[in-house]
Amino acid sequence: MGILKSNWWPWRVLTVISLVILGFFVLYPLGVLFNNSVRDESGALSLAGFAQLIDNSLFLEALRNTLVLGVSVTALSAAIGVPLAYMVARYEFPLKNLVAILPVVTIVIPEVIVAQSWLLILGNNGLLTNFMEGIGVELPSFYGWNGLVFSMTLVYYTYIYLGVLAALRGFDGQLEEAGLSLGTSPLVTKWRVLVPLMLPAVAVNALVVFSLVVGNFVLATLLGSRVPLLSVMTYNEFVNEMGGSPLLQSAMSVVSISIVGIVLFLQKRVVERKLYTMTPGRAPPAARVRSGAAAVFTGCVGFIIFLSILPLIVVFVAAFTETSGPVMRWGVWSCANLLRIINGASEPVVNSLTFASLATLAGVVFAVLASYLIIKKRNGLTQTLDYVVVMPLTISGTVMGIALVQTFNTGWLVLAGTSAIMVLCYAVRRLPFAVRNASSTLFNIPDSIEEASISLGVSPLLSFFKVVLPVMKASIVSAAILMWVTTIAELAATIVVYTGGLETMPIAIFRQIDGGRLGLASAYGAVMITVILAPIVVSIKLFRINLFSNR
Amino acid sequence: MKLKLLPQVAATVIFSVAATWAQAQTVVLYSSNNTETIEAAVNVAKKKAPALNVQQVTGGTGTLMKRIQAESKNPRGDILWSGGFGTLGAYKEYMEPYKSPDLAAIPEEFRGPDNLWVGTNVHLMVLMVNEKQLKGQPAPKTWSDLMKPEWKGKFAITDPSKSGTAYMLVYGLLKQFGREGLEKIAANAVVTASSGATYKGTAMGEYPVGLTLEYAAQEYVAGGQKEIKLVYPSEGSYLAPEGMFIVKDAKNAEAARTFYNILLSKEMQQELLVKAFRRPTRTDILVSKLTSLPDMKSIKVFPLDQAAAAEEYEQLISLWTLAVAKAR
Repeated sequence: MGILKSNWWPWRVLTVISLVILGFFVLYPLGVLFNNSVRDESGALSLAGFAQLIDNSLFLEALRNTLVLGVSVTALSAAIGVPLAYMVARYEFPLKNLVAILPVVTIVIPEVIVAQSWLLILGNNGLLTNFMEGIGVELPSFYGWNGLVFSMTLVYYTYIYLGVLAALRGFDGQLEEAGLSLGTSPLVTKWRVLVPLMLPAVAVNALVVFSLVVGNFVLATLLGSRVPLLSVMTYNEFVNEMGGSPLLQSAMSVVSISIVGIVLFLQKRVVERKLYTMTPGRAPPAARVRSGAAAVFTGCVGFIIFLSILPLIVVFVAAFTETSGPVMRWGVWSCANLLRIINGASEPVVNSLTFASLATLAGVVFAVLASYLIIKKRNGLTQTLDYVVVMPLTISGTVMGIALVQTFNTGWLVLAGTSAIMVLCYAVRRLPFAVRNASSTLFNIPDSIEEASISLGVSPLLSFFKVVLPVMKASIVSAAILMWVTTIAELAATIVVYTGGLETMPIAIFRQIDGGRLGLASAYGAVMITVILAPIVVSIKLFRINLFSNR
Repeated sequence: MKLKLLPQVAATVIFSVAATWAQAQTVVLYSSNNTETIEAAVNVAKKKAPALNVQQVTGGTGTLMKRIQAESKNPRGDILWSGGFGTLGAYKEYMEPYKSPDLAAIPEEFRGPDNLWVGTNVHLMVLMVNEKQLKGQPAPKTWSDLMKPEWKGKFAITDPSKSGTAYMLVYGLLKQFGREGLEKIAANAVVTASSGATYKGTAMGEYPVGLTLEYAAQEYVAGGQKEIKLVYPSEGSYLAPEGMFIVKDAKNAEAARTFYNILLSKEMQQELLVKAFRRPTRTDILVSKLTSLPDMKSIKVFPLDQAAAAEEYEQLISLWTLAVAKAR
């Protein structure tokens, strides 16, 4: 027994090594960041940075805006996600299966492209804006609050939808029947039984949405030029302070980490108090709805899917549209922009592929090891490992990038300005995804098969490679693909750590959008989407892996 | 018979490949220009020096300068094209002086000190007007029009700490209208975070007027967006020349000099004027003949000292920050 469990010393050594690596690349940079936020120019302890922030009316406005945006997008996402999940879980209606593509669409379409295509449609010179103007209707400006709330809700509602859907599917239908048979009316039953049981799922995913909104840089900077927001302000401060004292950028980063931290704490308190344990039962069968209602259901779901997938269509249309400098000639087709990328400007494509592949390789190897230790070789240390590994999830890309640059800018290990910091940054940022994915199958692998192998005389290490790894294959592939895909689309941290010559596709898109070249930006977008979709299609068709089943 | 020839053929092939290999010169270009502009320049270079192989690394001027600084012990780039004179002045120690034979065609004011850099093109700061968004209001004719209360919130200016050209604009406003004038502008303006945000926002109708670069505004005019007009301020426009330099201890110094001369040639400057509306620094190119843009002679320019502008950087930025804070 001792050999099988965590006491076997190599597992302990590996746990320690993993912790040291994570400590060095996650905890240490965060420590540097916190330390920098409370040091003045001379290096003495001081709260001057925070004092300056409190005195700065623009910062307070940005802080308030960020919180308001976070709350409103979270509320709206719940307002869309919860009913959608309920409809899908409980009712049967035409074209319902289309819903399955939702998570793929929203996770795969990079935010840069979402922002860009909505600008093409609803921007001040957008297709729909100009059309409406032609028939005498002036649409409100998409820049600022309208665009921010609209696009963020469309990007993030799936998190709540997926969470609630999973909860509804695991819900024991007998509970509801019990309520009904005891004479309570159907509506009251739903209110008393269904709602309390759904609440934790909503709360957990609402927190995810909230923290994503607080940390969002891409949509915030592209759509909110007149609305000061914390993430954009932090980035601007980073650019301003380049080479100077990193005081304000650190202080702002600490503020944004604290916001997420406080909300996480409150949510835990609330959810834990309301937690009911329930044996997973059979979900009630989906009811077929009548034709009138079915049309409404299909319409609603179809509309949401349409809005989610529209950016994809727009980007491909724009990529093949002729441009003259910054001006788009809609209806005239051309491959000029795509050829331009292939012939002269392929550097970002090559960079993206290289960095993403290296980061994925490093991340997946580490994730497999870490999740194996956490789940199969539990001890006091692995508990810590478990916490540290998911930490990057609560830190926004901008803050993560700033922490890494501050830490590895000087000293014995200088990574800033090299490709190594890009790879490191990606690997750390996406590690939680990979670990979650790898863990999900490990839970289902009984210890007995490994024990059997060891008791037959195969060494623990060999058993790991011969028995455990093959069983994990599917989840390793899906972890790798998810990591690769989200890494290729990463912008918030990239824009902080990259230097000239290390441009990636999202940076190229960002720069082209900034320079007003929506045609060329779309061409990059089309290349990026293709690169992202290819491995997903291959894995689904070839390996028959359901990528999003275990999220 | 055929087989006997094979070694000979192979030898010829190997020899010719080796010859082209020896002739082919590689130059690593660090460029902050947009994709189309670089493409146009590379095409001209291909015609003038077919053996020259231009490898490009792109990024903002600031990030590329930082990279050159970081690589100074082992330079990987050979030539930088292009940066504002103020930015260039701050990185003199990383430049290799070079006296191009074409220098005679470039006026004194567009040459760097000690032949460290040379101006390749000149930006003019203009008022870019979106007539559709004016909603009946007459277009502004000059800078001081925008200081009037009716323009509050209706024009965009780029944060001078984010862009070299925007810096020259704000510097010009300060020199011409003093602190008071600058404060009036700051009180009325919407401040954007990049040059792109200003001209793009104006083109897309977010702002009726944008204080921006001539070439950027002209691209929309040339693209056929009819509501976009350029106004050259009657009180005088400001110049922001941009230059290039050869990186100190460049690995491909010879190729870098070849490319430098090509970038300075008449053919190149004409091509970039026609394709990308980059106003040439050479005196032997007639702008109005090749484009719909006016000649420099017919534009009133308020003179600015580029070197002095760079020296007063910190001071101006803090003045501007104060002016913006006061307006809030």
